[in-house]
Amino acid sequence: MKRRDFFKTSIVASAAILGSNLSAGTTHLPKMNRKVSEIPFPEKRAMITYSDRPPLLEAPRSIFTRGITENDQFFVRWHLPDIPTQIDLDSYTIKVSGLVEKELNVTLKELKNDYEQVEVTAVLQCGGNSRSAFTPIPGGIQWGSGAMGCAKWKGVRLSDILNRAGLKKNAHWIGFNGLDKPAYFKTPDFVRELELTELDENVIIAYQMNDEDLPYLNGFPLRLVLPGYYSDSWVKMLSNITVTDKYQPLFFMDKGYRIADNKTEGETPKHLAKKTKPITTMDVKSIIGYPEENMKVYHNSELVVRGVAFDDGTGIDKVMVSTDEGKTWDEALLKQENGRYSFTEFRFGFKPTKYGTVKIMAKAINRLGVAQRFAKDIPWNRGGYKYNGIDVVTVKVV
Amino acid sequence: MKKIILITVLMVGSLFAQVSKPIEVPYIAYTIKKAKGVDTLQANCLMCHSFGYVINQGAQPRLFWDKKVDKMITHFKAPITKADKKTIVDYLFKNYGNGKLK
Ligand code: HEC
Repeated sequence: MKRRDFFKTSIVASAAILGSNLSAGTTHLPKMNRKVSEIPFPEKRAMITYSDRPPLLEAPRSIFTRGITENDQFFVRWHLPDIPTQIDLDSYTIKVSGLVEKELNVTLKELKNDYEQVEVTAVLQCGGNSRSAFTPIPGGIQWGSGAMGCAKWKGVRLSDILNRAGLKKNAHWIGFNGLDKPAYFKTPDFVRELELTELDENVIIAYQMNDEDLPYLNGFPLRLVLPGYYSDSWVKMLSNITVTDKYQPLFFMDKGYRIADNKTEGETPKHLAKKTKPITTMDVKSIIGYPEENMKVYHNSELVVRGVAFDDGTGIDKVMVSTDEGKTWDEALLKQENGRYSFTEFRFGFKPTKYGTVKIMAKAINRLGVAQRFAKDIPWNRGGYKYNGIDVVTVKVV
Repeated sequence: MKKIILITVLMVGSLFAQVSKPIEVPYIAYTIKKAKGVDTLQANCLMCHSFGYVINQGAQPRLFWDKKVDKMITHFKAPITKADKKTIVDYLFKNYGNGKLK
């Protein structure tokens, strides 16, 4: 190649890179190679630790071979640093007020004794899970795919509590607040609001997770559980439920956890969508728990690929696995025993017959036929929400 | 007898301290680069969260850091003076910048 030709092509190449960075926004696989920290947090094993104040802990990939996530490896995400470090179980109450016939102050004892006790197994996933898949980087923590988990939650139905308080005719919005507070009095508090129509029988106020008390860092003693929804509204250390007729403008509702209100839910850094909407229910997604990136596997060995898949409760129909760059796909075996809101476990037997690098890909398809797409086809968005690209793990066959 | 006591303890209490005495969350020192302006970050950016939030963003253009500090001021009401803001953005760009202005 002549020197001048070389220059020409490199200019074109760098223009392409610049162009894609500045105007388009690109999506790729999230960063999954972060190491767990040396310091474990209370009631947790050592996890990937982004911050101590407020605590932000991510689970490593390896835990996603199992349909239930252990409490001590369940991810942790708080927004505000001032979290009570001591809870008096006798005086702890949830206050139900606003447009109700009768204000309630429900104690933990009443909650456990005076209401029907119910259980639901459901996936809890941060709306920003896998955010590190987007370039240029959107605001917020650059999570890999471990800001999620699945647990069996036990508690009482929100609707039972609201019925006992008695909703007034004009009740329309329900606000949820927990005990965590900002460090500075002017910083907005983290309050969530949901429309009454979004709250069905499955929404519970939980005090147990996998038959144990909620871990402190997961919202002890009580948190809201909204099966099928991203975790932004699963308020922790729940203390106040306020019923209103009108939406109350709040920073974390108006600015956080929103996505472009258009068909693709995408936008570009240069042309941000004018209209946005809350992120609400979860898109179909799967993660390979084993093997992990860069692992060596023996030629002709019997490798079992394992992972989990889930969606918003529609239910997983199939998980397809490819070992030839996505040219052909085979169906994995599924284990579904915890209901439609839980992780579906998948496993796939793979005998590597060629030496060298192999990419293992997993694609979940739900009962409506909605399938995961390749990372590059997931539209960029400024908040880095709802990434659900086909997972890829590269192994070396030796 | 012993067994019965054990069961009641399990039912009433939680496994851990948060009910009887404060739970302790470990302190992790997320160190940022020692360079000109670091004191200003120390004074202005640790009130609401650790430096983990800053380091996590990776190397970014100057405009990114400028907008981040603005976000802290307008949305989260961080009390930061104009002069301090400039020192902070200069520091972030120099130490956590990618060389590009935007
Ligand atoms: C008054 C409180 C406050 C102060 C002071 C503050 N921040 Fe923040 N900052 C926040 C809050 C609240 C968040 C969002 C927390 C969350 O959602 O986890 C945040 C998040 C961030 C993030 C993550 C990216 C994002 O967009 O959410 C970065 C980076 C950041 N702050 C940098 C800084 C820097 C640099 C300073 C010092 C100039 C600073 N902060 C001072 C409140 C503050």
